[in-house]
Amino acid sequence: MDQYRLEKVSKIFDRRLVAVDGIDLGVQRGERVALIGPSGAGKTTLFRMLNCTLRPTAGRLWINGDEVVTLHGKRLREARRKIGTIYQQHNLVPRLKVVHNVLAGNLGQWSTVRSLSSLFRPVDLELANRALRQVGIEEKIFARTDELSGGQQQRVAIARVLMQDPEAILADEPVSSVDPSLATVIVKLLIEISQKTRKTLLINLHGVDLALAYFPRVVGIKNGKALFDLPPDKVSDSLLEELYSGHLPDNQENGLTDEESKPLVYQ
Amino acid sequence: MNEITPEIDRPHIPWPSHEDGGRGSLWNYFLLASLVVLFIWSYQGSEIRLAQLFSREGGGEILSYIKKLFPPDFSPPVLREAFRGAIETFAISFIGTLLAVVIALSVVFFASRNLIFSGLLYEMEPRRGWRRTLRLLPYLCAKSLLNLLRTIPEMVWALIFVFLVGLGPFPGVLALGIHTGGVLGKLFGEVLEDVDAQPIESLQSTGANRLQILFYSILPQVLPQFISYTLYRWEVNIRVAAVLGFVGAGGLGQRIHIAINLFFGNQLLTLIIAIYILVTAVDYLSAYLRRKVI
Amino acid sequence: MRNPSLSSISRSEKSLFPYLFGLIFLVGFLDSWWRAEVRPLAFFEKEGREHLWKFLSGMFPPDLSWNFLSLMLHPALETIQISVMGTFIAVVIGFPFGIIGTRTFSVGGVLNEADVKGSPSRFVLRWSGYVMARGVLSLFRSIPEFVWAFMFVRAVGLGAFSGVLAIGVAYGGMLGKVYSEIFEGVNYRPLEALQSTGANKLQIFFYGWLPQILPNFVSYTLYRWECAVRASAILGLVGAGGLGTQIEISMRMFDFREVLTILIILFFMVAAVDYISARVRALL
Repeated sequence: MDQYRLEKVSKIFDRRLVAVDGIDLGVQRGERVALIGPSGAGKTTLFRMLNCTLRPTAGRLWINGDEVVTLHGKRLREARRKIGTIYQQHNLVPRLKVVHNVLAGNLGQWSTVRSLSSLFRPVDLELANRALRQVGIEEKIFARTDELSGGQQQRVAIARVLMQDPEAILADEPVSSVDPSLATVIVKLLIEISQKTRKTLLINLHGVDLALAYFPRVVGIKNGKALFDLPPDKVSDSLLEELYSGHLPDNQENGLTDEESKPLVYQ
Repeated sequence: MNEITPEIDRPHIPWPSHEDGGRGSLWNYFLLASLVVLFIWSYQGSEIRLAQLFSREGGGEILSYIKKLFPPDFSPPVLREAFRGAIETFAISFIGTLLAVVIALSVVFFASRNLIFSGLLYEMEPRRGWRRTLRLLPYLCAKSLLNLLRTIPEMVWALIFVFLVGLGPFPGVLALGIHTGGVLGKLFGEVLEDVDAQPIESLQSTGANRLQILFYSILPQVLPQFISYTLYRWEVNIRVAAVLGFVGAGGLGQRIHIAINLFFGNQLLTLIIAIYILVTAVDYLSAYLRRKVI
Repeated sequence: MRNPSLSSISRSEKSLFPYLFGLIFLVGFLDSWWRAEVRPLAFFEKEGREHLWKFLSGMFPPDLSWNFLSLMLHPALETIQISVMGTFIAVVIGFPFGIIGTRTFSVGGVLNEADVKGSPSRFVLRWSGYVMARGVLSLFRSIPEFVWAFMFVRAVGLGAFSGVLAIGVAYGGMLGKVYSEIFEGVNYRPLEALQSTGANKLQIFFYGWLPQILPNFVSYTLYRWECAVRASAILGLVGAGGLGTQIEISMRMFDFREVLTILIILFFMVAAVDYISARVRALL
């Protein structure tokens, strides 16, 4: 069964910034796919459409057979619940304790009242503990999240996804902010998780080596378009050269997140 | 990061956590308890009658009072009077705020620690002795003067000035200017004490004297913030100026006072609408100017 | 004030603006000067001088008799009580309206993109809620607490209760506006992550928003409480309880010794409240 089906999906910010430009893609349930490409190629924007954060400007996108434009309210949240995302910057809530950040993976299943009461006295502490043990930092369960190191925070983010127990995991450059030796460990961990529970795994990687070494299918993205979609042994050096040639690093992928941060004047 | 978890199996995880046990949490409970006590005490003392507010008679009283306000009286004489009041209120807030800036600027340089007796500028000066005392004295005087101006609310200043110079808008101007002068003095002082020290250090090392440093390094840094604070206080002052008339200090407030006391409900609504328009307009104007300046 | 502001503007963009602004400023200044009946020499005129002398000499020594102080105790405490309850009501009003009046919560930004786009009914519902919340907040805060107090005195009678309501409504409007600014200033990345777990708006609010803004939220509310103490001290001028009533009485009777005493009480009260709120803030 199709996990994802994309037909000519595009995303344009502010009517002029083309981030994703007509991508066709199909992903089967349980598949493991690595996306590679220069920064600013639109990979992050693509992922934000795949996890129902952004809506495609044009084209059609099916998730589990549902077309996303038809999803609103409860059904939209249900679709989101079935997709777990690991972000480049962990995107944890800094002032919250680790346990709450992990349990936040449950929010899609919990009622609002239950989630509120959990902030005062965590429910399902056992589950959170088990998730943290799986990523190897169970001793940090009551630490404040912003006191952890970058690698530890990334593990908390993975534990949150474990908690969420989704059908598909999207990992958006999960290792670009940790040191290289750790990167392999984390990627292996993600693969292990997806294998054990037969979850779809889409990963966005900066390092080509990791993608070629561990994933049966590699998609190259450039300028918002899919350049190739091949098994790793077919990805030639010339293809990689083409993928990364003439690339000017810019930061157009943050169209919707970086609108905040204006100074506050207190009255 | 690669430390492997010491596998201590903890079947039961205690909560609250160990980290903030003991004194911290006791203090928190104490704080919470005192908050509750404060709340209950205040509830009993302030004659709150929510039941009355939402009961049929109480609610009906309020509703009938609101009904009496409608429709607003838009007859030409009332409109003219509202317009004159609004202009007068504007004038009071405008001149009052300017007066406040004059007061604040003439005091604040003596009231900021880093300009008058300590910090980088005085690093090489003697730490003790009469010269330091000489510098400390204006600092303390200026600080307490600002405190005095600030602590007494505008309305009380207005009461006092109405007695001193008679009824009319002028005591309102003085009241606004004096109180806001104290507030701006404090805000300006905080800005001055936060000023970036590096430009000062480099200027000082060129041999500039303190006044030169003030004009070349400190003022350019703080000016946008000064203006922004002034504009913000102006927004506050327009609201205050609108009610200063309650104690006889001119503006819209005087007319509102009359309208309420004589039960002219419809005129009252007109005046309230005038306040709303005036205040909103000044908010927008001030926001516009702030954007221009920063 | 005028010259420095002008120079900083003209440097940033060369245009007609500084000249136009200068002209308007000058005309406005002269007109306001005239309308506000400014008499710079008022204190040097004979009458002003006499009144000033009468006032200053009449203030000393302050009336510190036990009789008067015990009489003032109740109004002073009542002032605090009004401020606490007023601030409480203000939070009760400002919090929900502030949330709904936050653009990124109700209508825009990454949290609404997928949900609102392509669904006109949701779009209209969200926008009308947002606009209504903003409108109510703006109405509440644009009418000064004094006018509110005056109207509440007429509606629910003399006493502390009308002071509480006046502060609650006026400060509710101010708090709501600033709350929504604080809410908008958060880091949206964690919120996006929470949303992608399938959390609903309220869950996102409590797990992502509130923890981020809590210190700011508390410290601004405390600051407003400080203001509320000052405000409730003078609301008595229109009969809404607290110290204000006493100030007015003493002033009307030209008993400046009592006025000075009340001002001293007010000074200590405000200082105490400032101190408490600074201590609480330091805990955050």
